Amino acid sequence: MSSREIRVYRDLMGANEKWAAATRAWLRERGILMLNLIGSPGSGKTALLERMVGALRRESSFAVLEGDVETTCDAERLHALGVPVSQLLSGGACHLEAKLVHHALRDLAVDRLDLVFVENVGNLVCPAEFDIGEDAKVAVLSVAEGEEKPLKYPLLFREAAAVVLTKIDLVPHLDFDLEACRHHLRQVSGMRPVFEVSARTGAGVEDFTRWVLDRRPSRGAAAGAEHEPGPRRDSR
Amino acid sequence: MHEFSICQSLVDAALEEFRRIEPTPERITRVRVVAGRLHQLVPEFLQSAYEVLTKDTPAEGSEMELRLVPVTGRCTACGWEGEIEPPVFQCAGCGAFAIELCGGKELYLDQMEIEER
Repeated sequence: MSSREIRVYRDLMGANEKWAAATRAWLRERGILMLNLIGSPGSGKTALLERMVGALRRESSFAVLEGDVETTCDAERLHALGVPVSQLLSGGACHLEAKLVHHALRDLAVDRLDLVFVENVGNLVCPAEFDIGEDAKVAVLSVAEGEEKPLKYPLLFREAAAVVLTKIDLVPHLDFDLEACRHHLRQVSGMRPVFEVSARTGAGVEDFTRWVLDRRPSRGAAAGAEHEPGPRRDSR
Repeated sequence: MHEFSICQSLVDAALEEFRRIEPTPERITRVRVVAGRLHQLVPEFLQSAYEVLTKDTPAEGSEMELRLVPVTGRCTACGWEGEIEPPVFQCAGCGAFAIELCGGKELYLDQMEIEER
């Protein structure tokens, strides 16, 4: 018996990446923006979406994919507001993977869809590792969790295109050091935007909503350019 | 516990490579994984996942070597390049928080050792 070494060089995220790439292509073809919201359980991801519904509805046709380990509680909250929502149960898994999201997305029956939020399973570690085909990850951190969280979970805060600091109305009642948190976010995330919001009072929510809406690809450019002959339509 | 999911990909990849070899070898004796330090992998979790997932496969009992590689980046402000010490992504040259990552997110099966029949 003899042994030998074999060079392999094989990406371990390959299978997930394949689904993520398929999702990205599917979204691009339709001019849809997909954001992956990642934060702790109870950081206020659903409350943030609830607060944004009115303003989003005026300008966009959007849907939510709600990821949870168990229950449909969060999906019901959004459903009650008339938001098209699909529940993804991870069945114990601590994060969503690209394949599950891909199928859920394709099952959404929404006309002229231009925006999808994926509310990932509440967790600051695992969801940051998995590309689900989103355009951008958004980190959601509540002030109740402590100012050092960006340093403790650098991958998420590094990967996120923006950070939403929620429950900002609670700052006067907590020992939370807002200045230190802003500094830590800068240390990890660099110059990425940070939105300080309160879903309860509505403070700051408008700015974040604007940021989201402005990220949508222009429909004429995205779908029209590749698939439709003739003059390009302008859309706004 | 993303280690389990990542380890499943590792075992799948190793076994697929193994089956591709002709003539079919006896077994896998060692695999080497290269992982960037930005992946928050707990080596012990990865190790126990590996033991569980290789059970009753040609990789059972094999050694899993985890090689961690540093996080490196480039400063978009001054052009400095070098190693970054997470969680602080700061340029060691000019102090700017304007780092573009170059390395640290790798995650691949680098090589494996097989025992021939």
